[in-house]
Amino acid sequence: MPPLRGEDGLLSRVLALREGSIIVVTVVVAIYFALNTSSFFTSANFKTLLPYFAPFAILGAGEVFVMILGEIDLSIGGTYLLAPYLFYKLSSTVGLPLVPAVIVALIACMAVGLINGFFTAIVGISSFVVTLGMLFALEGLTLVISHGEPVETPGAQVHATTREVTHVVNGVQIHLPEQVNHISTFAKIFGAGIYSELIWALVIVIVLQVVLTFTRWGLHTVAVGSNKLGAGEAGVHVKLVMIRNFVLCATAGGLVGILEAVRSSSVQPDTAGANEILFYGISAAVIGGTLLAGGSGTVVGALIGALFLGILKDGLILQGVNANYLLLYLGLSIIIAMTVNVYVQRVRRGSHSA
Amino acid sequence: MPDAVSTGPEVVQPTSASDDVLRVEHLSKRFGPVTALRDISLHLRKGEVLGLLGDNGAGKSTLIKILSGFQKQDSGQMFLHGQPYEPKGVDDARSKGIDTVYQDLALIDELSVYHNLFLRRELVHKPLPFLANREMKLQARKALDEIGINIPRIDVAVARLSGGQRQAIAVARTVNGDADIILLDEPLAAMGAKEGSMILDLVARLKEEGKVSIIMILHNYVHVLQACDRVSMIQEGVIALDKPTAETSVEELTDIVVNEYRRAREETHAAAAAHAGAEGLL
Repeated sequence: MPPLRGEDGLLSRVLALREGSIIVVTVVVAIYFALNTSSFFTSANFKTLLPYFAPFAILGAGEVFVMILGEIDLSIGGTYLLAPYLFYKLSSTVGLPLVPAVIVALIACMAVGLINGFFTAIVGISSFVVTLGMLFALEGLTLVISHGEPVETPGAQVHATTREVTHVVNGVQIHLPEQVNHISTFAKIFGAGIYSELIWALVIVIVLQVVLTFTRWGLHTVAVGSNKLGAGEAGVHVKLVMIRNFVLCATAGGLVGILEAVRSSSVQPDTAGANEILFYGISAAVIGGTLLAGGSGTVVGALIGALFLGILKDGLILQGVNANYLLLYLGLSIIIAMTVNVYVQRVRRGSHSA
Repeated sequence: MPDAVSTGPEVVQPTSASDDVLRVEHLSKRFGPVTALRDISLHLRKGEVLGLLGDNGAGKSTLIKILSGFQKQDSGQMFLHGQPYEPKGVDDARSKGIDTVYQDLALIDELSVYHNLFLRRELVHKPLPFLANREMKLQARKALDEIGINIPRIDVAVARLSGGQRQAIAVARTVNGDADIILLDEPLAAMGAKEGSMILDLVARLKEEGKVSIIMILHNYVHVLQACDRVSMIQEGVIALDKPTAETSVEELTDIVVNEYRRAREETHAAAAAHAGAEGLL
């Protein structure tokens, strides 16, 4: 296979990255929608796009750390659902201030990760089974403590104030009342600000990619995922590495739950929605180039995988695809895009060894 | 009717010396119904290369795993420099100066040569937690040059290297880790003559330096006689021979194994006969 644009061409350099092929596929999909719908390439649409992919990027980033180990964490759907209710209870029933309530809710998610890690790494049950059980248990627990009813997210309510605005009409000054909406600084930071989730996603992805590539934690994660027995023989604390990554992943699930609850200003006991979010998160990681079999993965890839999913869903909606057909097309598009991805990857391997 | 109960090979009383760095007394280890080690006693002198021989399943690898802290014996004691040695794990054994190159090499295919060399001992930019990759590359290159291992590129994944190169890296990792006792589990397994001699040269160079003592599991008697100072043979979980290589020969080592096979076959026949006899009574 000859190199596409020479060794130093932009395309070959992009393809040399682990995330290379999904970047190419995502760009192609974006160009397709930009050419076929007039409203895709607009700033208003980019703002609509954000909640379609930022949460999945965060979930995918956490999931990458577990999937590199060759494990999987389905319980993020559970922490996603439970964390905002814990936050609500801690804030409204226990009376904790908002930020400490968030922190305590996230600590509870860490405990969930600890339990996942304990049963997987120490008891030796398959992580699929452990976290599936945990998913159902947490969703059930959420239904129990919420009595299946939605509540208002603490600190996320919109306050409207009225102020007098002066207009000049035909040379005459008139005063009109105008309604202005306010959200608290807490809400702006934790999900309700337009770019809040995007910033969380970018910061988390960058930090976790740095952890994965440039620290012993990341190196040991790859070591355990690539050769668990060998890593243990070399003295890597295999169980500790596994438990730590399950804690990280479950916490990411809880954080996304709280961000989404603040963004929508209500906490919903919607187990089906949580399961869907869970699969988008895992898909983002897999589409981004993290192997289900373990040993290799990329956090930035999960971000791009999430972006790919977001663009696909948003673009299909803009094209006016009938709501009933949306999931069908989304599913088929994922399979087609991933098939293309496999071929692009072969080109990438070819150019890599050239 | 012959006695069907196994008498097993004769247990040789272990030798010992005043400059022993490691001494093992009456180790035993069972895995459920399987007895891996029955009664193992051996010793290792300073700067010595001890060859461990034995049939498949004789218990060689189990012994290595216990010495390296990866598994724990059921009974028996170990002494390191005359002090009781009870490793709590691989890390603990390593901190006491015992390091192991396993049969599966414990190399991480996805990681580069230098990351493998530094696995669990990675250098970081203190106080920051970031890996000091440049420093590790320099040190890795130096360490490989010092023990005469030729690896053209140390930033490639070890998956791309040959069997000999991988073995050499695994050995270099233990030497690099300041171990004074190195355990090698079949360092020549699945290796061509040229690559095998590279590893034996490496062992000879380490012996010349005299800083480390080595226990090496081998299969080829010629290699044992060439590379080792002394040889211990394990049969059915006990030491059946313990001699300086200068006092033994390929013939003697072969005889012991042939006798072992003969005895095992007779036992099998006797057991079958006893079984047939028992059935006849019914």
